[in-house]
Amino acid sequence: MSGKSRRQILTGLGFLAPNIIGVLVFTIFPVVFSLVMAFSNWDLTRHNMFLNESIEFVGFDNFVELVTNDRFSRFLGNTLFFMMGIPFAVGGSLVAAMLLSQDTNAGGGRRFVWLLSGAVFVAATAVLAVMGLGGTGMTLLLVGVAASIMLMGVAGGKTVYRTLFYMPHFVAGVATFILWKKLYNGQTGPVNNALRPVLDAVANLVNMLPSGMVSGLMWLGVLVFLGLMLWTTRWLRRSLVDGDLGFGALVLPMIVLLIPVTVAQRWGHAQPFAMTLLVGVIAILVLQGVLYVRTGEKFSCNAARGFGSALIVCLFVMVGQFVVLGLSAVTNYLPAMASDGLEPPNWLTDSDWAKPALMMMAFWAAIGSNNMLLYLAGLSNVPGALYEASDIDGASRLQKFWHVTWPQLAPTTFFIFVMSTIGGLQGGFEMARVMTQGGPAGATTTLSYFIYQEGFETGRLGYASAVAWALFILVFSVTLFNWKFGNRYVNE
Amino acid sequence: MKYIFIFGSVILLALGLITYLSFPDSTTDVPVIYWVTDANPARIDQVSGFRDWLITEGYVNDQGEPVVRLELDSSNADTTKKIIQSVSGVAGDVMDLASGLQLQLFEAMGVTYDVTDDAARLGFGLDKTFAALEPELTIDGRQYMFPCNVSASMLWINKATFEKYGQPIPPERWTFEEFERMGKAFVEAANKDRRPGDRVFYVDNLNFIEMHRSLGLSIFNETLTACDLDDPRYVRTISLLKKWREVDRLIPSQDDKEAFDAAAGYGGLSAQLFNRGNYAMMRSGRYMLIQFRKFGQLELDCTEYPHGGFPVTTIITRAVAVYTGSKHRDLALLFPAYLASEDYSMQIVRDADALPPNPVVTSREAYLRPPDYPNEWGVHEKFLDAANNIAIGNAYSPYILATVVAKEMRWYLDQFDEDMIDAEYAARETARSINERIGDELKRNPKLQVKYDKAMALQKQIDAKLEAGEKIPASWVSNPFYRRYYEEQGMLVTELNKASNHANHSASETSETSMEKPLSVGTEAKGEVVQAVQVGEVSL
Repeated sequence: MSGKSRRQILTGLGFLAPNIIGVLVFTIFPVVFSLVMAFSNWDLTRHNMFLNESIEFVGFDNFVELVTNDRFSRFLGNTLFFMMGIPFAVGGSLVAAMLLSQDTNAGGGRRFVWLLSGAVFVAATAVLAVMGLGGTGMTLLLVGVAASIMLMGVAGGKTVYRTLFYMPHFVAGVATFILWKKLYNGQTGPVNNALRPVLDAVANLVNMLPSGMVSGLMWLGVLVFLGLMLWTTRWLRRSLVDGDLGFGALVLPMIVLLIPVTVAQRWGHAQPFAMTLLVGVIAILVLQGVLYVRTGEKFSCNAARGFGSALIVCLFVMVGQFVVLGLSAVTNYLPAMASDGLEPPNWLTDSDWAKPALMMMAFWAAIGSNNMLLYLAGLSNVPGALYEASDIDGASRLQKFWHVTWPQLAPTTFFIFVMSTIGGLQGGFEMARVMTQGGPAGATTTLSYFIYQEGFETGRLGYASAVAWALFILVFSVTLFNWKFGNRYVNE
Repeated sequence: MKYIFIFGSVILLALGLITYLSFPDSTTDVPVIYWVTDANPARIDQVSGFRDWLITEGYVNDQGEPVVRLELDSSNADTTKKIIQSVSGVAGDVMDLASGLQLQLFEAMGVTYDVTDDAARLGFGLDKTFAALEPELTIDGRQYMFPCNVSASMLWINKATFEKYGQPIPPERWTFEEFERMGKAFVEAANKDRRPGDRVFYVDNLNFIEMHRSLGLSIFNETLTACDLDDPRYVRTISLLKKWREVDRLIPSQDDKEAFDAAAGYGGLSAQLFNRGNYAMMRSGRYMLIQFRKFGQLELDCTEYPHGGFPVTTIITRAVAVYTGSKHRDLALLFPAYLASEDYSMQIVRDADALPPNPVVTSREAYLRPPDYPNEWGVHEKFLDAANNIAIGNAYSPYILATVVAKEMRWYLDQFDEDMIDAEYAARETARSINERIGDELKRNPKLQVKYDKAMALQKQIDAKLEAGEKIPASWVSNPFYRRYYEEQGMLVTELNKASNHANHSASETSETSMEKPLSVGTEAKGEVVQAVQVGEVSL
């Protein structure tokens, strides 16, 4: 190596040194060190520079303790529950990106539209000030804000909308959490103020109708649930027949698909229709099995083929089934609930509603996040020639989306899904700390918040590190899984 | 390229130097100590008061300047920061801790300096403050802190709110039943045609610990070896609180509090709502006067908490501890000495920042009848009486951190409040869970086991005597609540009390809070002494 090259390398290393040293000292070393800590009994109340007691290695004791700790499993359950919002968040940001890629510019008359939007907003605020924070005033304000935003977009074009949609990402998290806390207030929050008239109307309607008719909606839900099951199993069967899916790849997606019906058997509120669901699901499975045997395999393939596609579809369907399950249970109780009038929930102080409330907030934040930007970039990279070709073939808008846009966005979707999964497993700390302190009754405590509690409230650094590494193993496994099978899905 | 590199390095070095020069230490030859405290504007006066006190007391150098300079560090007042900085050797020289709750944790970490001997030398011993504070300031009979201020909680009364709705002012001492009856009448009269978010509540908050204590029940047993909350009195307490909150609506729920369109200032949201009339009463200490005075001349009074037979309140303190790792520990010790001075206590009296640490000044007119605030005349005596007569320090078990206890209790209380479990189950599981945690701690820390076994043996004797209806020697009882409770009930052996009151008191405090003490080498010997004293007492 010449002297000049050596000098150049040294110069380069010199520039990189601060960063490399920073990463080594503040990232690599703590990570490795925390792994060591996870196998120790390090407790701040017993082991630090002022105390002479030595730290001992305790093998897997910390890990054994956490797997036998029912609170760990509950907090892991909370974390996984929050992750059920990921498909919605991904879908929401895709829809947002598609809407924001449309041109909304009004062209001429912008000044007039700006003035109009300002006037609508001022009028709405004035009405609110006069009428107070009651439901009507708040509804008017919300309508006013929505109208003015729409008009602003018409005047300013898609840039206005893109800025507004991206706002959740660049506003400080704590500030938005406090805002949402106010929005969710059970008595005076805008969410419940807007819900109250709607719920009053629903209660009146339900009370007017024969109770059997409303409860009948529950059976509609059962039909939708079974319909989803039928559609998915049919798609899986056809994939098997066409050689797009191997038998080995079918196992896990089927397990995922059967989770909702299994949960329904144990969930008290689903008891009136749980057995029907079970019988229906078994009938569908038998039907698909019979049809498969009759048709036979047209093309053979590798046992693991198509795993990613099948799993993603089944995951989405599972989330959908859970939603239908919940709605069916609600309709069953609706007549009894409506007889005394329907009250909006106490979002953050009721353990049944706290998790969905935080999920909805996270959904709002996720729509306007980097995911939306990635999709916007992805959409702009879809070759126009593909759309022209599909136009020539007479494809509808939906067909163009399904056969052109969606496959072209597959790499972006995969990346977003992987990152969202990692973020979902690691996240929830700020939200829980600011909005609910992990409550009520631990309903919103996630693993990251649990680590903080164990590490800094009780001083058990060894145990907290073990929880952190358990979380890492989970994140790593899921990510590995995603890369192994999701990548294949993208390439397919 | 190399010039850019050199230029960048020079800039960074220069910035580092400027930062270093901006540190208070680098601008003076006088040693600088840092006080980690909250960002209260009153601290500035207190710092300058310390400087004046140093000069007055002759702590000056050859130039007549104070021998030490005190700097405020309010950016590191967060508990997590204090923990991390303490165990890392870089904490402030003196730091505020919230009562025994935090002291227990910090002492266990070995980061708080044992000031017992220095306190005697410099005049800031326990005799310079309220007797009821002993469990909050000491562990294992050793002193670790001295109060900055003291708070015995009571219920503040906004007389105008009661007059507005034609309701009687509560008596100075009242039972649960009287509270409920008067409260129901009040909220009914005050809440006709009110919109959501503007409801009037009888009181902003009540604490379940004061309630079950007033029924004669503490969290721990007499020797602090086990949690005793699996008891009908605890069941009654949490059920009553829930009823008052959800059925009678005398106390606001969390949702009620957040529904108010008022912003929280100093003293939290409650102070604003108390002034506005949404809370007729407010649970707090005398320090709330700082905020009340900003509201003008509120017509104030105060009353004790409603009780179930044994009137009681808690006493807490924001106290200063000296950091073991301080480079200027000897100088840092002067600060608690200043806190024990009458000058400092008079400052607290003037600022109305709770009760002064040194009760000597509370007999003065400036405390009892501040000339600028005639509306407060009459309430100051009540806070003093509460601190002297009905206040009892908290019970800290040596076998479990108070922070863990609080967490376990909250876990089951939340579930009870959410109707996920009933009160009996909550009480049972709270006790079981805390006792399980004690067991875990003993397994992790075998040194505690010996102490625990002795205390358990003592507990058996106490239980036997209680069952037989016999009196118990005061020194057997480590739990400060039971010591006071049994004394009031005439269940303690008085002769023993008189004979060895002080020594026994210290000894019993030992088992109350010595949990982490045996961990440090320097205190193991003390632990043995304490155990010897205990054994001696048992034999008595």
